[in-house]
Amino acid sequence: MTAATQGGAKASLWEPSRLLRRSILALLLTPPTCLVFLGLAILFWGPDRSEAFFVPLLAALVLSSALGWPLAAKLRRQLAALARQRDAFYQELMRLSKAASLGEVASSIAHDLNNPLAIMREEAGWIQDLMKGGDLQGSHTQTEIANSLQQIDIQIERSREITRRLLQWGRDSAPRAEAVDINLLLNKTLYLLESELESAGVKVAKDLPPDLPPVGGGAPELRQVFLNLMKNALDAMKASGGTLTLATRADAAGLRITIADTGPGIPASSLDHIFEPFYTTKPAGEGTGLGLPISRWIVEKLGGTIDVESQEGSGTSFHVTLPVQAKKDAPGS
Amino acid sequence: MTRPIRLLIVDDEARLVETLSKRLTARGLYVEGVHSGADALALLQGKPFDVALLDVRMPGMDGLTTLREIKKLQPLLQVIMLSGNASINAAVEGMRLGASEYLLKPANIDDVLAKIEEAFHKKLIQEERLAAQHGPGA
Repeated sequence: MTAATQGGAKASLWEPSRLLRRSILALLLTPPTCLVFLGLAILFWGPDRSEAFFVPLLAALVLSSALGWPLAAKLRRQLAALARQRDAFYQELMRLSKAASLGEVASSIAHDLNNPLAIMREEAGWIQDLMKGGDLQGSHTQTEIANSLQQIDIQIERSREITRRLLQWGRDSAPRAEAVDINLLLNKTLYLLESELESAGVKVAKDLPPDLPPVGGGAPELRQVFLNLMKNALDAMKASGGTLTLATRADAAGLRITIADTGPGIPASSLDHIFEPFYTTKPAGEGTGLGLPISRWIVEKLGGTIDVESQEGSGTSFHVTLPVQAKKDAPGS
Repeated sequence: MTRPIRLLIVDDEARLVETLSKRLTARGLYVEGVHSGADALALLQGKPFDVALLDVRMPGMDGLTTLREIKKLQPLLQVIMLSGNASINAAVEGMRLGASEYLLKPANIDDVLAKIEEAFHKKLIQEERLAAQHGPGA
């Protein structure tokens, strides 16, 4: 199929009036509906009517079965196609928003990287200063040079840790069925925002009990969800600081993850809309209105739920509940 | 000969403060270093400086808040904002609040020195102007 016809097919599928006409027609023509009509006819006209009356009704039933089933089947196919398109749409949105959040994370990491670079530059510069000074054999100079070289090494290690973090973020080819340690994932995601949280005066309170059961997979997608929620919490507390709470609990429903802030809270009028695409309360250019709808889509794809609690003046909590991985013997690796 | 420039370095990276201090001292400056905005303000309460190198992003009191407080304590002190963040917003905001210059980390020592000297001369001119204004009446 060419791109053009594919585009045309998509456009007609999305057209609501056509879809509605078809749905009504299919509903009217399905055999169960026709049986209901038949029953109603018998009830109103009584069983004493002549057979001549039922013949056209039976004929209508047969005809509607012949027409109705294929139409209903077609409708089902169209609805399935719509669901696939919605999934593809969210997948594309997720890819774009991941790129955008990576951009933000990158600028924070660039800042983190510039600090060790600045120190290395001064250490190298100090060695050059000492060399220009002449007396390289003096024990004081020797100690100074050794000290600076050691410091450069320390800062290289620090830089390496930062680039490792960035690489880890980019790597997302982990198999979906891999067991995910949620506490570890929360900590790793938090790490990406650590310096931003610190400079915004946001404290972090962790309530992550050990030995929680793992969830069944989706680590890269879940990292995206946690980053979205933590970034929202950070944005809510940027102005006056606060506490970011990360908590996990295992219960009958699965694993419950809470990411809460002590920011100004979400007004009740907005609370119903926050999971709608393109709805944002952030200033223009700062929020896309995609973080939460994408997060919800991801969580629901993984068989979980996401909900929000907010009190104006005291903060907002997001709760993500995920199914835990079915118990089985540990694989060989 | 003019007196040495009195420089205050404010940065949470202790090692950067230490080594930069050594290098600038070797270039004839009088240097003191602190690791937080609060420490800087405490020091400035009792001691005059000519120029401050001030990190924008620090835990606790951030650079811009520190700048605002510094300007209340010593209005003539020339502040050079130092940042690892290429954010133009912080630069503009810093200049609006009275910073005289802006440097990006990792900065070259010659650039740092040039900016410090420039800032120092700016301060001398401001001091002279003030003296001239108040001079005749005093």
